[in-house]
Amino acid sequence: METRRRSIGLAEVFLIVGLLATVPCRLSALSVTVNDVECVYEFVLYEGDTVSGNFVVVDHDIFWNSDHPGIDLVVTSPAGNTVHSLKGTSGDKFEFKAPRGGMYKFCFHNPNRTPETVSFYIHVGHIPNEHDLAKDEHLNPINVKIAELREALESVTAEQRYLKAREVRHRHTNESTRRRLTFYTLTEYLVLACASGLQVVYIRRLFNKSVAYNRV
Amino acid sequence: MRLRDAVIRRPAVVALLLCNMLLAPGVTAVWLNLPASGTKCVSEEIQPNVVVLADYAVVHEGPADGLPIISAKVTSPYGNTLHHKEHVTAGQFAFTTTESGNYLACFWIDSGDKSVGASVSLDWKIGIAAKDWDSVAKKDKIEGVELELTKLEAAVQAIHANLLYLKSREAEMREVSEKTNARVAWFSIMSLSVCIVVSILQLWHLKGYFQKKKLI
Repeated sequence: METRRRSIGLAEVFLIVGLLATVPCRLSALSVTVNDVECVYEFVLYEGDTVSGNFVVVDHDIFWNSDHPGIDLVVTSPAGNTVHSLKGTSGDKFEFKAPRGGMYKFCFHNPNRTPETVSFYIHVGHIPNEHDLAKDEHLNPINVKIAELREALESVTAEQRYLKAREVRHRHTNESTRRRLTFYTLTEYLVLACASGLQVVYIRRLFNKSVAYNRV
Repeated sequence: MRLRDAVIRRPAVVALLLCNMLLAPGVTAVWLNLPASGTKCVSEEIQPNVVVLADYAVVHEGPADGLPIISAKVTSPYGNTLHHKEHVTAGQFAFTTTESGNYLACFWIDSGDKSVGASVSLDWKIGIAAKDWDSVAKKDKIEGVELELTKLEAAVQAIHANLLYLKSREAEMREVSEKTNARVAWFSIMSLSVCIVVSILQLWHLKGYFQKKKLI
């Protein structure tokens, strides 16, 4: 990582700064299947950048009961220490300030044996501060305001993605409830009818001639 | 300011394309760790008529000549292959979705060195993030702050569209919930009546049986 950064010249640093003022750092919400541990990496360019995101476990047909351990998320900084961790949830948002630039590791851990699909979204937002303004004369304070506005809109978009993913999960639950309701009710009626039929057969057998002859 | 902006933007635009291939795998992309054997897949649930733009590249990690070779495959929810490349170290694909569902992008290692994994950086953009702002800027001849504000306006419109979508999904889900609620009530009453009917039938049948057997 260090060798790579040193090979970038000064002009390219300015270009990156200029690019960041024009190209929003943005990702789409990808889903990954977590069998045991799945890690994705995200590069944070500047120290002090706000890394925000969310993840939601997309439900399959297997529904979680109340003692399901959930999915854990552990965020590790390039130095190796844990920056953020969330334990045992079916989906949550996270936000932290990056203590340094570099490659951050986001690991999802599934303590259960059944594979789960996790839909995640990670966004690294950078707002040029006075240090960047002093370094690059092409940035003026309006770029700072625009960057703040862009980050605010980005957080709204991220919230919407989270809501969309949770809505999918909620809808799965609802439709499963509806299906199970119909299935269980019909089964219940059938079982009831069979039980009463068996009762009748049993009582008839109790009173038939070959048995009753010795009793009644 | 405008001339200076124009002078700095043109090399920035050129550099953007270069940077996307050389530096940016790792600037605005998520990195995945490919296992030594097996496939790593990421997926996303996408609506129809959405533009998807993605760039993937194997990341230099060890010696420069030992770059692993990978293959990539992108499939639509109905199983059609949208992109399939073997024995490459980088590539890109773009398509417009025609059906709603889960779009899957899978990567696996092809090269002979099966003992070591590889890191692939994937830059996956859909919808508004995949819009080519450079061509819009050139066509409408806007640049600088106006371009930034145009991007923000497009982001706000996307937020509005997302909100309307969420609202309609919530309305559908509410209908399913209310239908399920009505069904629960109806099925419970029916279950009670099935119980009563079955027990009446039982009693009627047994009474007739005992009268036939001259027991009562």
